[in-house]
Amino acid sequence: MLEVRDLHVKFHNRDREAVAGVSFKLNDGEILGLVGESGSGKSVTAMSIAGLLPRKKCSYQGEVLVDGEDMLHAKRALLRKVQGNKIGVVFQEPMSAMDPLMKVGRQVEEVLAIHTDLSAEERKKRAIQALTDVELPDPEAVYDKYPHELSGGMLQRSMIAAAIVSRPSLLLLDEPTTALDVTIQAQILKLLKKLNRKHKISMLFISHNLNVVRKLCSRVIVMQRGVIVEDGLTYNVFFKPQHPYTQHLIECIPARVKLIARRSMEEENASVDGDQAAGEAGKAETAVSSRQAGNTVKAGGEHYD
Amino acid sequence: MKKRKWNGYLIAGAIITTIIVVWILVGRFYTPYPPTKMSSARLQGPSLAHLFGTDKFGRDIFSRVMQGSGTTLMIAALTILIGAGIGTIVGSITGYFGGIADEVLMRFNDALTAFPSILLALVIISILGSGKHNVIIALGIVFIPSYARMMRTAFAAQREVNYITSARLMGASSARILMVHMLPNTIHVLLPALTIGFNNAVLAEASMSFLGIGVTPPDVSMGYMLSEAQGMFRSAPWYALSVGGVIALLVFGVSLIGEGIQRMNKEVD
Amino acid sequence: MKYVVRRILALIITMIMVSFLAFAAFHIISGDPARAILGMNATESQLKVLRQEMGLDKPFMVQYLNWLIGFFTGNLGISYSYRQPVSELIAPKLKVTLLMVLISFVIIIVCSVPLGLRAAQKSRGRLEWLRTTIIQLCMAVPAFFLSILVSYVFGIIFKFFTPGDFPKIEKDLAGAVKYLFFAAVCIAIPRIAMAVRMLKSTLIEEMEKDYVRTAISRGNDRTEVLKKHVLKNSLVPTITFLGQTMAEIVGGSIVVEQVFGIPGMGRFLVASISNRDYPVVEALVVILAFWVILSGTLADLINQKIDPRLKLGGRA
Repeated sequence: MLEVRDLHVKFHNRDREAVAGVSFKLNDGEILGLVGESGSGKSVTAMSIAGLLPRKKCSYQGEVLVDGEDMLHAKRALLRKVQGNKIGVVFQEPMSAMDPLMKVGRQVEEVLAIHTDLSAEERKKRAIQALTDVELPDPEAVYDKYPHELSGGMLQRSMIAAAIVSRPSLLLLDEPTTALDVTIQAQILKLLKKLNRKHKISMLFISHNLNVVRKLCSRVIVMQRGVIVEDGLTYNVFFKPQHPYTQHLIECIPARVKLIARRSMEEENASVDGDQAAGEAGKAETAVSSRQAGNTVKAGGEHYD
Repeated sequence: MKKRKWNGYLIAGAIITTIIVVWILVGRFYTPYPPTKMSSARLQGPSLAHLFGTDKFGRDIFSRVMQGSGTTLMIAALTILIGAGIGTIVGSITGYFGGIADEVLMRFNDALTAFPSILLALVIISILGSGKHNVIIALGIVFIPSYARMMRTAFAAQREVNYITSARLMGASSARILMVHMLPNTIHVLLPALTIGFNNAVLAEASMSFLGIGVTPPDVSMGYMLSEAQGMFRSAPWYALSVGGVIALLVFGVSLIGEGIQRMNKEVD
Repeated sequence: MKYVVRRILALIITMIMVSFLAFAAFHIISGDPARAILGMNATESQLKVLRQEMGLDKPFMVQYLNWLIGFFTGNLGISYSYRQPVSELIAPKLKVTLLMVLISFVIIIVCSVPLGLRAAQKSRGRLEWLRTTIIQLCMAVPAFFLSILVSYVFGIIFKFFTPGDFPKIEKDLAGAVKYLFFAAVCIAIPRIAMAVRMLKSTLIEEMEKDYVRTAISRGNDRTEVLKKHVLKNSLVPTITFLGQTMAEIVGGSIVVEQVFGIPGMGRFLVASISNRDYPVVEALVVILAFWVILSGTLADLINQKIDPRLKLGGRA
């Protein structure tokens, strides 16, 4: 679905490459975590995938393949067809990422106005459906609200609705929970997981917080100074980190949180195995256990995030 | 904090302004001809003997402009001193302490800003009568509200900043906090505003004297000369052109400095 | 709706304050209007009769209220120098100035909007410094100097109009508009420069906001982002600026009328100040102040329609 091959990005006004040879693959339906501190190149990688690099201000090479087509060097016209349509993006600050003077509903359906010939009523129907999908109470009322009339959590849900309204195959999440408080953060993570299962949307989840990534992603990539230092299943990265930088990151997480994490992840792993073995019957179980995992995590998160 | 780098606008503005200001200051002590001395060389175009030509009384325009801009420069400088000075005091006190005094002063401010600045100056002049000193007072008063408002915002923004709170906890007096800790941090707002205010003062003084309700003879200012020049525009166009040119160049130079400072501030951010 | 009511209430309060300030100031400085009208040779009994007639023997507040009521019913008092009702004197002059200000306002909008958009688009170009310099130069040239040049070049050399011979609006509207057009240009040029500068920085600031990145991530190109999002978001500061412009150009018209010999309000104001004709000055000052307050309020009301956040009372 998404493949990044030897990506290099260098901004003209910086000496060091922001991204210095990054390669990874994102499989269909996978949630991949991309972790690193600020300046590690994780956001620039995401921007390259979304076609949001300021091309005049930097030099770049490599390939970003979305369904086999290179986004990095694509012409504007091709890029436009993919943006919003195949790739949805959710940004960090929902308040500033939304146009303050446009009603939320109009922003949610903007993608449809650009990419489809749907009539206004159909667009509105789809937008309200999307707002329902992100579990907003009273989606019809939200449709007619201005951004300043909603809370941060509701806004971020609306942003997610806007990103999934055209049923994209890939969702880029650039620190979507960082600006929110812990309870809301846990709710949003739960929602994302649900959307991933329900609509089979692949997700690239970017965060500086390994513990948040751990709650959501099956696989994690750790970046430092523009290169990937670790790439593996979340469980392995979390408990058997190979690279000294990752080890250092893990050490920073308090022991009690690690304990809770281990318990919930092992539980989850078991249920995923069950899912693969038992097919349909196992699915319900997964949902239950993941909800339990969410709750435990919430309790831990409130103290240590 | 990054190093502040001088940019092209600032350099160009500083050069233009310095040249004109030095030229004007020299005019206080020395002019090629006595500015009011009439001669038989009437209505002559620019030449080596008379760089800006002569008017219909045979007076040397170069000398007249040199001296007349001195009056304008002085009026503008004193105006800004009054306007920005009192404005800063009022703004800092109301911004720092807030409360009822703040409310009342700001409402009064609102009422004052309802009058277009030149109109307010004209009204004050009609009360005080014309003349150099009254122009300074009138324009000074006109400029107070805008500076007060600006400085109030700048000071109010700092009220809750950490280092101010800690200075207060350490027992610093309000006066000390205002002068030592807060004032220097408002410089980046104040400086560009000073350049804009200076230009407005130059233009306002010139307008008023041009209308005949500003500086009165024997004092001569740019506006007065321009109204004189308008009368002889057909016979001596160089008169109006040189007066207008000098005003425009002075204002241009100062506004380049303002632009330069603003860009410098932006870069530091 | 509540916002509109509140805003209009604030408007009325400011108007009352402004008119009171003006009335009080002129009450103090104008001395004895009866003597000003009748001259130094009038007898004490003549003065007394006139004072009674004019209501000058009543308490200050009553005089103010009478004057305020008179102001809104068109009774602005009697001019000292012309011995005529002030309203009759200033009505034709107001018409001329209003026409000139409107022409000027249209010129400003028509020129500055496309220029501002262009300046914002080319803000990283190689000629950016030149554009900035031209803008600064246009702001530096005094309006009356510009007026002298324009009236000489277009009036005397090209003879588009005859300086000093302003046609009556009632008789020759086209001629009057043509005459006023050149004056309006002189008022407009510095304001256009300011408007372009303001538009440019507003647009650039908006283009760097986060929501622009969001819009692009949805598949908009930059022109679409500009049309759908940025222009609307830039409208609020622009309308505020235009409101100020509406107020400022009336001030600017005072000098320009003088140079062009336009029988407008500004010229009349200057003459009345020189003659110490206080009833006229007072009426004109209050009219001008009301004009300024009205433009500001109008801008605020329009802005509140554009930006629902302003309803919350952030700026009211």
